[in-house]
Amino acid sequence: MKRNTRFPSAALTGLTAIGLALVSGGFSQFAVAQDEQQTVPTPKPTGPVKPDYSPYPEQHFPTRVYWGVAHVHTGYSFDSGMFGVTLTPDDLFKVARGGTVVTDNGQTFKQDRPLDWVSITDHAEYLGIADQIRAGSPALLADPQGKRWYDMSKESPQKGVEAAIEAVVSIKNGKPVFNSPEIAGEAWAHSLTAAEKWNEPGVFTTLHGFEWTSAPGAKNLHRTVIFRDGIDRVKQVLPFSAFDSPDPEQLWKYMDNYAKKTSGEVLAIPHNGNLSMGIMYNAETFDQKPMDRAYAEARISHEPLMEVTQIKGDSETHPYLSPNDEFADFERWDFDFDKMQKVPNSVLAGNYVRSALKLGLQLEDKLGVNPYQAGLIGGNDAHVGVVTVSEDNFFGEFANGLPSPDRWKAPLTMVHNDPKQGPLVSVWNESASGLGGVWATENTREGIWDALKRKEVYATTGDRPVVRLFAGWNFAPADLNRSDFAENGYAHGVPMGGNLNTAPVGKQPVFLVYAMRDPEGPNLDRIQVVKGWLGKDGQTQERIFDVAVSGGRKIGKDGVCKTLVGNTVDVANATYSNTIGAPVLSAYWKDPEFDAKQRAFYYVRVIQIPSPRWTAYDAKRFGVKMPDYVPMTITDRAYTSPVWYTP
Amino acid sequence: MKRLLKEPLVHFLLLGALIFGGYELLNHNGEPPPGRIVISQGQFTSMVENFTRTQQRPPTREEMENLIRAQVRGEVYYREALALGLDRDDAIIRRRLQQKMEFISDDIAAQAQPTDAELEAFLQAHPDKFRVDPQFTFRQLYLNPEKHGTNLAGDAAQLLAKLNQPGGDAGFAALGDPFMLDNTFTALPAGEISKQFGKEFTAKLGGLQTGHWEGPVESGFGAHLVCLSERTPARAPALAEVRDAVRREWIEDQRLAANDKFYQAMLKHYTVTIEPPAADTEKKPTAAK
Repeated sequence: MKRNTRFPSAALTGLTAIGLALVSGGFSQFAVAQDEQQTVPTPKPTGPVKPDYSPYPEQHFPTRVYWGVAHVHTGYSFDSGMFGVTLTPDDLFKVARGGTVVTDNGQTFKQDRPLDWVSITDHAEYLGIADQIRAGSPALLADPQGKRWYDMSKESPQKGVEAAIEAVVSIKNGKPVFNSPEIAGEAWAHSLTAAEKWNEPGVFTTLHGFEWTSAPGAKNLHRTVIFRDGIDRVKQVLPFSAFDSPDPEQLWKYMDNYAKKTSGEVLAIPHNGNLSMGIMYNAETFDQKPMDRAYAEARISHEPLMEVTQIKGDSETHPYLSPNDEFADFERWDFDFDKMQKVPNSVLAGNYVRSALKLGLQLEDKLGVNPYQAGLIGGNDAHVGVVTVSEDNFFGEFANGLPSPDRWKAPLTMVHNDPKQGPLVSVWNESASGLGGVWATENTREGIWDALKRKEVYATTGDRPVVRLFAGWNFAPADLNRSDFAENGYAHGVPMGGNLNTAPVGKQPVFLVYAMRDPEGPNLDRIQVVKGWLGKDGQTQERIFDVAVSGGRKIGKDGVCKTLVGNTVDVANATYSNTIGAPVLSAYWKDPEFDAKQRAFYYVRVIQIPSPRWTAYDAKRFGVKMPDYVPMTITDRAYTSPVWYTP
Repeated sequence: MKRLLKEPLVHFLLLGALIFGGYELLNHNGEPPPGRIVISQGQFTSMVENFTRTQQRPPTREEMENLIRAQVRGEVYYREALALGLDRDDAIIRRRLQQKMEFISDDIAAQAQPTDAELEAFLQAHPDKFRVDPQFTFRQLYLNPEKHGTNLAGDAAQLLAKLNQPGGDAGFAALGDPFMLDNTFTALPAGEISKQFGKEFTAKLGGLQTGHWEGPVESGFGAHLVCLSERTPARAPALAEVRDAVRREWIEDQRLAANDKFYQAMLKHYTVTIEPPAADTEKKPTAAK
């Protein structure tokens, strides 16, 4: 049975804004008792300690990347649901593991490849609203009729359905025995149960999670909240919503309380800084007071990662902030989420993660703690009940973005500057992004979550290139070619997400970097190191070094390769060819400008060759012509978590 | 909407609806006295427990008073809104109520405990769902096409000759170019090989002879020389091997069936008439597809 739902676009698109407005404004503040900081054990050093004959017992380091997202929604989210999405967590888990589902416009969806892990993060707001604890179940059992229905439901599913129908009919007839919302269950419990059902250690990991949707004045402060533990612990709490408090500090207290009560562990990941009007990554608290040391500590201990890319735009950096970065203008969403107007340049620094990493160095110098010493990960944020990150298989952010000939021009909201010009933001602005690559020792809840916590993760804008990075003081060029590359890397350096302290006299940090393309995706153009540092004058700087390029092109003395890789995209046919670029690139790189007294961070950006954007596949498959302002090619990429240098 | 609210006629209608609604409430026979709001013991407990599950501590007296005030306020608005019919044609409310109904049938399906016979039958009926992937035990070394350029075929042939000599493959990994995936894999399922090397490579692995080095075998990364030592074909598993997976899929199957049966049973109480606007009829066949 295929469904066909037609959406009145005005009602639909207006709702995005409503959804956000609902969680802005003033909420009651709870005075939550102060608890001691949650302490998370740092991962053990991963290098070999004492050699056994068999090398494997001591091989505790990650040997492969596990792909997934810590940010995606089902029909349980109020905004997905009211846009007509009915897929459930069960549906999403099934499809993430490689199954097929029929989406809400009747189209069959299957991912090109299964994911290794996923965390469904439905909005906390409204999710638990009907939750009344299971006190209703005894009440139901106390009633003879209720007891009979209960027994029928135990007997067989067929009997159960009959019981349910009987019950519903009885209510309609005015005998409301079965009216407790408790027995109907509620979304949180259902979501947790589904995640347990599909979790299979070693094969597929589901992490329990939710999204805290705070947006004061439509300024986005959203976080996904990701648990390490199983249902036995997580079910002891309800999701914390922006109705409970819009202040991240209160969310962190909730997380501390969870850890204290259950001995479990939980982390939060902020996303869509690009839509925060400068308040996601600034130097202030929620109440606009200057950040102090305690606040900085609380932030970084709860939020070890920042989501840098997803459907609603890329949050790495902006051309205004990084005028010398030729790849900075990427899937740009630099408008506010209220009026959908271009945001002033003055707020941009608070919106993007590269600026956050820079500001973190400044704050660390002042406060002694870096609140933004966080790794980078990709999320998806689709609200259609599936993870959709491939250009050739894009199913949109909301139900109005499900594949159809006209979806590209459907307005994301009805708000626009000039009614004659149509919407400022449309479905074509959506980006088929992103994924999280996790270097974990095993595909289990503990394995994946621990890697998130120690930041040994990276973001991609949808493809699955393998990127590995080690930084240390004593690596030699030959270390790049060792067959025990990873073992040596861990033994004598730190992986992505790590920290280098106090440089040995006369040494510069050395980086060993490898990138292999997605085996089913586009070749690689180049590997870059993005460096940010705090100068003597107290100002931060950034610079990008090309460290490996394909096709024998030259990297100049200034660290830049000025020859472009080219472009093989045939837009009309939505194809490209891997006749340019390289499948594997590697680099041995020393920072030529290193100053042992300056705080710095380094992250790797891997640029792929251009390929058709999802809009090109739409144009080809539906035979539609889109205006010139709709981009048809994309230069997808990967961002690693940084390595920091602290004097 | 704003303009609408300023219309005197709308004011009149709203007022009328309020009065009429109130009158209706007053005249209900046998119902609790009109306008009576009771915060029952059950609700009280439930409020405390909800607060405690979110905040991990019971509410203070002041917070409890606030919760009760909010509950009463919510109840008043709720009843008045229902009386005005504001719940009708509200997308959020409709969706939420549909979801609650779906939870009923979901919960019922979740209660079901399949017998072994049912699971066995399900396994037999869906062999493709549970088929165990072919598995491959192999060693590989990588040749980077950027490095070898036009000499790739020649270099590969030379290396193959060396590797296939007795003892020639000791320390084979060092003979290839640097590569970030492992060199040795034991009983790796085809699906996992595809995840790491791509589908093209997996397909070619199926055609190799065991016991000696062959290649070059193409992958998304370039060329590989491969020594396949063991291959286990795809097979249908016994129930004991895949019980958890079969159980999960069986429950999922029951859930979907229960939802549909539930809906169909309720649908029987209605006749549905669809009246598309005349202009829309042309589009109808595609829309119904």
